[in-house]
Amino acid sequence: MMQEVSPDTSRLHSIRTPASKKRKWIKSLRKDGSLYLLALPGIVVLILFAYLPMSGLILVFKNYNFNDGIFGSPWSGFANFEFFFSSMEDALRATRNTVMLNALYMVTGTFFSVSIAIILNELRSKGFIKVTQSVMFFPYFISWIIIGAVLFSLLDYDKGILNQLFSSLGIAQVDWYSSPWLFVVILVLANIWKSAGYGAIIYYAVLQGIDPSYYEAARIDGASRWQIITKITLPMLIPSIILLSLLSIGGMLKGDLSMIMGVTFLNPLLLPTTDIIDVYVYRTAIRSGEFGFASAITLYQSVFGFILVLAANKLAGWYDKDSKLF
Amino acid sequence: MHTNDSKGLLIFFYFFIALFSVVCLVPFVLAVSGSLSTESRIAAEGYSFWPRGFTLETYQFLFGSKAEQILRGYSISVMVTALGTVSAVLVTTAYAYVISVKSFRLKNFFSFFAYFTMLFSGGTLPWYLLSTKYYHLGDTLAGLIVPYLLSVFLMFLMANYFRSIPHEIVESAQIDGAGHLRIFFSIMIPLGRVGLVTISLFYALQFWNDFYLPLMLVTDQDLYTIQYLMYNMMANIQFLASGNAAQVGGVVISPPLETAKMAMTCLTVLPIAILYPFLQRFFVKGIIVGSVKG
Repeated sequence: MMQEVSPDTSRLHSIRTPASKKRKWIKSLRKDGSLYLLALPGIVVLILFAYLPMSGLILVFKNYNFNDGIFGSPWSGFANFEFFFSSMEDALRATRNTVMLNALYMVTGTFFSVSIAIILNELRSKGFIKVTQSVMFFPYFISWIIIGAVLFSLLDYDKGILNQLFSSLGIAQVDWYSSPWLFVVILVLANIWKSAGYGAIIYYAVLQGIDPSYYEAARIDGASRWQIITKITLPMLIPSIILLSLLSIGGMLKGDLSMIMGVTFLNPLLLPTTDIIDVYVYRTAIRSGEFGFASAITLYQSVFGFILVLAANKLAGWYDKDSKLF
Repeated sequence: MHTNDSKGLLIFFYFFIALFSVVCLVPFVLAVSGSLSTESRIAAEGYSFWPRGFTLETYQFLFGSKAEQILRGYSISVMVTALGTVSAVLVTTAYAYVISVKSFRLKNFFSFFAYFTMLFSGGTLPWYLLSTKYYHLGDTLAGLIVPYLLSVFLMFLMANYFRSIPHEIVESAQIDGAGHLRIFFSIMIPLGRVGLVTISLFYALQFWNDFYLPLMLVTDQDLYTIQYLMYNMMANIQFLASGNAAQVGGVVISPPLETAKMAMTCLTVLPIAILYPFLQRFFVKGIIVGSVKG
């Protein structure tokens, strides 16, 4: 509205008495009341599925039983932590797997996405770019369950395509589903396969925004294709690469339960490398009902995750003040 | 002027991209071929890129004895996707509008209120206990929808679109006496069309592909989505084997386990594959606007 007071004059008028404060609130409520109404459903969802679960962290200090519920169960002090430390090995394994897999996804995924984007930027055939980009983006649309099913037909010991190929080449067949460390490679490749095309679109979009005169100047100076890529294209992408990497560091402890479930079907033989924290919580708490214990690891996950986010934010601040997340 | 070595590089680039594109499609060829093969030959010789003994038997089996389950799975998935997408888009755009109103005193507070949930979470366990014990979402259709109604990431994406709408339009509407509800529904939503389509697609994809919520909250077979049905089939051969023995009087026929997995895979991907050519460009546009804008 036109009579809306600009910030400066409002500061002049507002003498800080409770009454004027109250009047200001009523005024703003009349003006913006409908905004609260619009935000309400979102607020409710956030409270129900994000904020209240945070308060559920008190479970760590409780001896949970299903009848009394989260808030009614008796306090247990630090008993759950004893529990936690008593099976420290499993917890550490889950943490190591989560961080290891996420770090591998991040590094390889970024490498492939950036490479594809840079290569697409070099190609001149518009039709070729369009078709291949669509095809590479397609796996992003497929659920992990389906990817797991198709992987099975590739990797199955007797019937899988890969082992057929190996035996026809005279190489010994590999039992992928009982080789935890080989399966790490499979997971990393599956992740690249699913998401590299998606990531490439982001970086390719950044490259489309580069001023063509840089390239013209380089070409006039006689730069080779490789020089142009390493001296112009790649440096242009670095800010985006850093920003996106920092964002994903915060999620380092968030494993992808659907991915592991979909691809490994929780095969016990693979757990040494695929038992990420979310899988661990699912197995120990939701399936077997050891709630106290799982809540200790949940708290640990949250605190550790929060430290990672703060660290990422700090790193972002050092790199560039504007890239700070908050 | 490019030298020869850079021409070689260019050829390598074309080759690399072509190869990766082929790799992206190969698994689907494998699935289609598997679903059209005969079970006995797959069991004996393994999967192949070309159907082994071309047959439609597997599909006949699925549509014969499993039709009811599959159709129910489809309809649950369609219902969850449709209801979920519509309500999630409403909740999300409304919240996004609120934090995009420049004059709103609490817009920063509401932004942070949403953003904080991206940083810190209570973890799977309290979420699960609250959802099942306090909200009673276990084995309900709502349980497959409500937890996903607000994706904070898509909400910020949408807020970006709203902020890009020229402020003068909003101001002139305010002068004409329009309130926020009116501005939201009759100006922002129509003008934010591109953003709206983008987040709708992302939500639809999330709901269609989701299997986290059914895994956590559903035990009732009537509520299995197509993805969850698929998961159960992969993890548990019993699903296919059950209720089949009695079919052909006296003679026990073994169900086509391997080919059925592939046929289910094809059936689950089919809707996406059909819609993909039409939807893909919206996603690309959405990703570009959402990521390049600061």
